[in-house]
Amino acid sequence: MISLWHYLAVAAALFGIGLVGFLTRRNLITMFLCAEMMLQAVAINFAAFARFHGNLQGQVFVMFLIAVAACEAGLALALFLMLYRRGKSLDSSDWQTLRELGVPPAIDTQSFPAPAPVEPDPVLSPAGARPALSTEEAARV
Amino acid sequence: MDLSTFSPIQLVGGQIAIIALLAIIGFLLLLPRPQARWVTLGTASLIAAVSGLGAWLYTTFGKPMPDLIGTVLFGFFSVGALGFGSVLVTQRNPARGAIAFAFVILSTCGLFLLLAAPFLMAATVIIYAGAIIVTFLFVLMLSQNDGPSDENDRSREPRLGALAGFAFTGLVLFSLYLGSPIPASADTSKAPAASLRKQLLPVVVLNTEEKALLQTALVSLDSAGEQLSGDLTKDRDSRIEYFTRIKNTLAEVVGEPVQFEPTSAKTAVSRSGSVLSRLVRLRQELNADLELYRQDHQARAVVTQAVKLQELNAATYRKLETNLLDANPNSDLARAEVAGLREEVLLLMGMGELPASNVSNLGYQLYTEYLLAVELAGALLLVASLGAVAIARRKGVPS
Amino acid sequence: MSDPIGLALIILAMPLVAALIAVLLSGTSLRTLANLPLIVACGGGAILAFTLLGKVADASTAQFVSDNITWFAAGHLRVSFTITVDPLSAFMLAMVTFIAMWIAIFSSGYMHGDKGYPRFFILMSLFVFSMCGLVLANNFLLLVAFWEGVGLCSYLLVGYYYSKPSAAAAARKAFLITRIGDTGLILGIFLLWRMGGWHTDLTALFDHIAKNPPDQGMLTTACLLLFCGAVGKSAQFPLYVWLPDAMEGPTPVSALIHAATMVTAGVYLIARCAPLFALCPDAQITIAWIGGISAILAGFLAIGQHDLKRVLAYSTVSQLGYMFLALGTLGAINPVFAVTAAMFHLLTHAFFKALLFLSAGSVMHAMGGVIDMRRFGGLRKRMPITHITFLCGAGALAAIPLLSGFWSKDLIFEALSEASESASPFTAGYYILLTVAFLTAFLTAFYTFRAYFLTFWGPERLPAEAGDHAHESPGVMTVPLMVLSLGALFLGAAVEPFNHLFSGFLERTPSLQLAATLAHSSTIAQHFNWTIAGIGTVLVLAGLGMAFAMYRQGGPEKLPWALEPVFQASESKLYVDDVYEAAIVKPATGLAFLARVFDGFLDGLARLISAIPRLLGQWLRPMQNGLVQFYALSMALGLAVFLSFVLFRVAR
Repeated sequence: MISLWHYLAVAAALFGIGLVGFLTRRNLITMFLCAEMMLQAVAINFAAFARFHGNLQGQVFVMFLIAVAACEAGLALALFLMLYRRGKSLDSSDWQTLRELGVPPAIDTQSFPAPAPVEPDPVLSPAGARPALSTEEAARV
Repeated sequence: MDLSTFSPIQLVGGQIAIIALLAIIGFLLLLPRPQARWVTLGTASLIAAVSGLGAWLYTTFGKPMPDLIGTVLFGFFSVGALGFGSVLVTQRNPARGAIAFAFVILSTCGLFLLLAAPFLMAATVIIYAGAIIVTFLFVLMLSQNDGPSDENDRSREPRLGALAGFAFTGLVLFSLYLGSPIPASADTSKAPAASLRKQLLPVVVLNTEEKALLQTALVSLDSAGEQLSGDLTKDRDSRIEYFTRIKNTLAEVVGEPVQFEPTSAKTAVSRSGSVLSRLVRLRQELNADLELYRQDHQARAVVTQAVKLQELNAATYRKLETNLLDANPNSDLARAEVAGLREEVLLLMGMGELPASNVSNLGYQLYTEYLLAVELAGALLLVASLGAVAIARRKGVPS
Repeated sequence: MSDPIGLALIILAMPLVAALIAVLLSGTSLRTLANLPLIVACGGGAILAFTLLGKVADASTAQFVSDNITWFAAGHLRVSFTITVDPLSAFMLAMVTFIAMWIAIFSSGYMHGDKGYPRFFILMSLFVFSMCGLVLANNFLLLVAFWEGVGLCSYLLVGYYYSKPSAAAAARKAFLITRIGDTGLILGIFLLWRMGGWHTDLTALFDHIAKNPPDQGMLTTACLLLFCGAVGKSAQFPLYVWLPDAMEGPTPVSALIHAATMVTAGVYLIARCAPLFALCPDAQITIAWIGGISAILAGFLAIGQHDLKRVLAYSTVSQLGYMFLALGTLGAINPVFAVTAAMFHLLTHAFFKALLFLSAGSVMHAMGGVIDMRRFGGLRKRMPITHITFLCGAGALAAIPLLSGFWSKDLIFEALSEASESASPFTAGYYILLTVAFLTAFLTAFYTFRAYFLTFWGPERLPAEAGDHAHESPGVMTVPLMVLSLGALFLGAAVEPFNHLFSGFLERTPSLQLAATLAHSSTIAQHFNWTIAGIGTVLVLAGLGMAFAMYRQGGPEKLPWALEPVFQASESKLYVDDVYEAAIVKPATGLAFLARVFDGFLDGLARLISAIPRLLGQWLRPMQNGLVQFYALSMALGLAVFLSFVLFRVAR
């Protein structure tokens, strides 16, 4: 028998995962999705309360929650679009100009590892011409 | 180490801490960073955390498990939601993250279905699917960079973030445990009123024994047709005895109507069936929390229905008895009586449960009690869409 | 709209709407039409107010009170937004709107071409609005609100030429000195609220006090505090010094302040609160003494002034003193009679004083802004209409028999003589005050006609500033003068002495009736007292004759040696301003210096304390690193810490 507590526990875990994502990920769109996930956790709570209280108030709340989430999505995407136009990036850390005067900006110190060397595409000689051979190949022939 | 030296609360706290720690480790290993990630170890840690959560839930809250299908579905959807949620958080590629989010939504929709909220399921799928598609398009449009990028391959404060998130989760789980009836029943030293207070949310109005009794009565009522067929003038005693049994079964649950006696109040409790006496006792012990008790719609509905059934049970039995003892018993009349009683028993069994087909009720509620709120939400949506258009308009942006 | 309250509300709203319309016009090319809203509002208001007079006179009940709309409430204090229409307020309303209309018409010509033209009319509209509200208010706090509105508008209008330092100083002086009185008014209202059963509504308060008479000493204190407000607003001794300086504003403003709106507020307040004053003989005699002192002092100061408008200003103080003299007899004789005398003088005074000021304005307009009587004279030929209208006003002010001022002043003399023969404990005081009033009548006739002769008689002299426009003013200015002079000549005779129209109308006022009941005074049959009228006439003619003898040839002034010191003293305002300067302003400056030193010490202390949070802030500043996610993280961590604190307390 699944009780109210099970649903509340799962919702809490989902909320926690969303919170971690919101706090650590730097892509604005991912952050936004994580926030939506937290909203979903809250919606589960409401629906569970509705179920175990035997009335529909919780479900009504979820309806409004969905409406608010839709508003949020529209506005957030518009804002992201504008930010992207300004900074050509979706990194939330690009906008830290509202800090106190004299506080040094947060700069990423760890550098990316050098990209793995990419094998260049072989260049074929024009049809009918003999391809140039390396010395090894020439030796084998 | 001897675990019995710890109090149950300390034990539960320890369990929750272990689960949270596993989750934190998993996310620390999996969150994007410029160096290579330890994907296998992190995934294993996360799986361990989720299994730990499941085990904890099973051992702490889920002992009686008559509903196997429901339990399996619940496990499926919750693991889906948590798993895809973790993928969304740890995935470098935001496009894949968006797809994971879509699966999170589908899983929660499954949970909605289990929670008797079909309309919410449909609405969430439609609205979030639309929103997700749009988001997805944006992701495709905007993040067309090759190679590692700051926003996708770096994390902001992964240790503190994971700690904050899962410390919060752990604390909520712990408070769930404290708020549930279990610690009170484990700790017998506390006053019974306190344990009852803990049970209030939700009040267990029909326990399994009562449900089983009702089920028996229902089965007997279903096969009552046989007793009412054939020549009703014969075998009167066995037939009447059959209905007496049904009556007694039901009376065990809802009690018998009180005759007009001077000491009615006390007798009412003692003579009442288990449901009513339990609820009445609850009410007496919870004098302080009477308001809370009254606001529990489920308990109230059950009590009302139980009282109704109490009357009907006795009345039906009397009518059936007179009918069967009559010179020419009327089979059709008796069948109608039985059908009526059956209906009410069925209603008592389902009373307080949210019916699965509640969409029209939801609509009714939205457009009667919450009309103003609906209008406000609509206005909010309109304003938000206008605002989105106004914000996204191309103006004053240096080209 | 047949409901009197509705009518009154429309009258009240019209000047406000006019101000708003004028505001809208001010920014456009239609700014020269900014005078129209005020004229229409006052004209329409006057018509409606006369309708209202008819309704109140015909109605079976003489008082209408609007519905109780709670303005605000806190504890015992419940303040409602109520207005009342009774004969007293209806009469004031009609008078204010009617006079204001003619002043507005006059100003459209007078202020023509001024660069603040719309501003002037906006402020005038607000001034009229505030006065109408003050008259109608049935709640003390509402009354105070409009009372302050009147004060504010007068400040803004007196300081209309704000770039002129003397105008700014005069505005400040007017505001601060009336403020002294206002403080008293507010304190008095608090006291009355405390005593009057926590009522702030006038009618409820009066009823309560009439039914449960409070302690005599407390009530007298409250009444004197109220009177303090009236003294400030109505420029009575010792707070009269702002009024002559208020001449720095444009002349129509002076006319409005002196005739209709501001200075009459104090008189109206006392008349309105007659039931309270009827209970306090001490307060009555104080009012009478203040009125008497103001009357004769201002009359004396008026004779030595060279500025035409200042002469008129002091005459206003003096005439208001007459009104307070009449109000001071309120308990000694029948309060209805006393208030009638005061209000009748207020009515006639409104007409002839508006007329005199507007005529002076006309002169000033023609003289290019010069108003010093030493620099012009003999204008009789150049400005025939102004000459005649000024003569009418001067005659009425001097109370020449059969003109308006004569009848109203005669009523006041009668009230005083009745009081001196009444059962009041202060009969001797009233007798002295009657003498003072007669003496003032002589002075009034003298200084009024001194100004008249110096301005219009003798050889023609023009100042250089007059230039080529030293001629009669245009029709828009002379028509109001003519209308008002008709009022100054005949109004007094038309409404009171023969048919008792005015007193019959006013005596139905419920608050006056209540006052009459409380004062236990017998109704006196109004009769024309030939002795008093005779003495008054003789004194007026003596003053007139003396002025004729001395100034027949016009200016410049040649004084007989015996009168030289008297004029000297009068011209220097009896050194009252200097006394104030030495006794109040200098010590206040010293005190201000001390306060500044002390303030510096306090500031240092405050800075010391404020340094602590600043240091703390310095330490916490790096937290504001501009990263949104860091803020969210702090929030989540804080929430977790808080939650764990709560939960472990519960679990333990």
